[in-house]
Amino acid sequence: MSSRREFLKQMSGAALATAAAPAMLTWALPLPQGQGVEVPGEDGMILRSFRFVDLESPVEYFNSWLTPVPHFFVRNHMHEPSELDADDWRLTVGGEVEKPLTLKLTEFAKFETHAVVNTLECAGNGRSLQRPQVPGIQWGKGAVSTARFSGPRLRDVLQRAGVKPSGKHVMFRGLDEVPGKVPPFVRSIPIEKALDSDTLIATHMNGAALTKHHGFPARALVPGWVGAASCKWLTEIKVLENEFVGNFMSPGYRFPNQPVKPGDAVKPEDTHPLTALSVKSVISGPGDGANIRNGKVDVHGAAWAGEADIVKVEVSTDGGATWTAAKLGREQAHYAWRLWNYEWKPKGGDYTIQSRATDSQGRTQPAAPVWNPSGYLYNAVDQVKVHVA
Amino acid sequence: MWRNGRHDKSRNTLLRSVPRNRRWFYATALSAAVVGGVLAVTLPFWALSDKPLPAKVTEDLPAGAMQAKATTSCLECHEARIILQQRLSKGAWAKEVDKMVKWGAVVDANDHDALVDYLSTNFSPDQPAYEAPRTANDRSTSEKSAGKPSK
Repeated sequence: MSSRREFLKQMSGAALATAAAPAMLTWALPLPQGQGVEVPGEDGMILRSFRFVDLESPVEYFNSWLTPVPHFFVRNHMHEPSELDADDWRLTVGGEVEKPLTLKLTEFAKFETHAVVNTLECAGNGRSLQRPQVPGIQWGKGAVSTARFSGPRLRDVLQRAGVKPSGKHVMFRGLDEVPGKVPPFVRSIPIEKALDSDTLIATHMNGAALTKHHGFPARALVPGWVGAASCKWLTEIKVLENEFVGNFMSPGYRFPNQPVKPGDAVKPEDTHPLTALSVKSVISGPGDGANIRNGKVDVHGAAWAGEADIVKVEVSTDGGATWTAAKLGREQAHYAWRLWNYEWKPKGGDYTIQSRATDSQGRTQPAAPVWNPSGYLYNAVDQVKVHVA
Repeated sequence: MWRNGRHDKSRNTLLRSVPRNRRWFYATALSAAVVGGVLAVTLPFWALSDKPLPAKVTEDLPAGAMQAKATTSCLECHEARIILQQRLSKGAWAKEVDKMVKWGAVVDANDHDALVDYLSTNFSPDQPAYEAPRTANDRSTSEKSAGKPSK
């Protein structure tokens, strides 16, 4: 966009032939489309960062059980790989294994394909709502989306290599490009989760090959866990005796063992690595600050709970004094969010609408955020303010 | 082939995308250009529109004594929005600067304190939240085609 403006700047003041004006105008005038920053393959996303690419889904996109890929949030710690070629791509499997492997993409056909509908959420989703504020991408509510991921099971690939009894953790390395002396984005998961029948080496999302933003040609998919576990542009799997030692295992992606007073520092030894997601709901409509006409109002949203199932979503329109159960959507899968809605018939006035989810582990969203120094796993009761005319 | 290139949309496609209720605007502007010649063409076109300016692809750091040095130190690895969206105390900014120096940011020792001051003055907790722009609408990217790697 700026190139158009620069072009104009250069041209203004210059003696322009009148005949050139029509052509100029098509470039000069702001067009209805293209007000936003063009990121190919992405549609109307909130741009948290262009370089490297971090995109948030606006909550109004939480209206379909499966998120279309152009609406699926994107979280990159580094620059995306500049060169990716499916034919040249290799995945190595090594470390504590009997028979190290090097696999081509075409060799995935030897493994059974498994599909998992998973709600993927960035550990830092909701960080901007923490007080005091903490450093990191200032996600609002939309660093979360749901897709049907498919590909070989990680378990089948590991079994082909033969995990030694000494193998207790599984490390993933991606092809993202590290600037400066930044530590590479490498993390590990425990062997139990790696051998779970739903943990995948995903090659597809909603039935189509992964796009570059989502880890083409293959990514780890660790269902129910923070997004950081699901390494993109996967190129190396290494079975380790111990948890991987690196910045993104410690101090990154750790949570305090005990509740922390907002703003307090936490010692590294008083923290543990993040694993599964919390119980959470978000109101996707009406939007915050909406003016609504008197009558029936469809309050709706999504709720998810990592490895647990959503059992209840309640809605309050009186500041939390009373709660009414919302209706849960028909579509469900173990690691996927449930859409929900509540038919509300308000009289005129100003309201705060709140939503609160409860899961099969008995967890309920807290009224206030659970503060922590990196702003992970924000899951306070959600709320929007509306005016009913 | 993996560069984040712009879509190669033809001008005609862009013109067709103009809703009917704005076509008068284009017609008027075109006439003005033809009749007024050079004068009309040199009008600041952006000012004619009630639409906001298109968002910049990457942002700039705010003006100030440290703008140039911060741009050199920080924006080699990431764009300015990563900084613009933070709202941190001076102590938290100092920690971030030290982390980034460890990770390869080149900051002259003599500039360290001034850089922390610049960041904590411009991006303190009492500043209003950064308003992030949207990416362009790309309705051509249907679920069917979304699976193909972008160009």
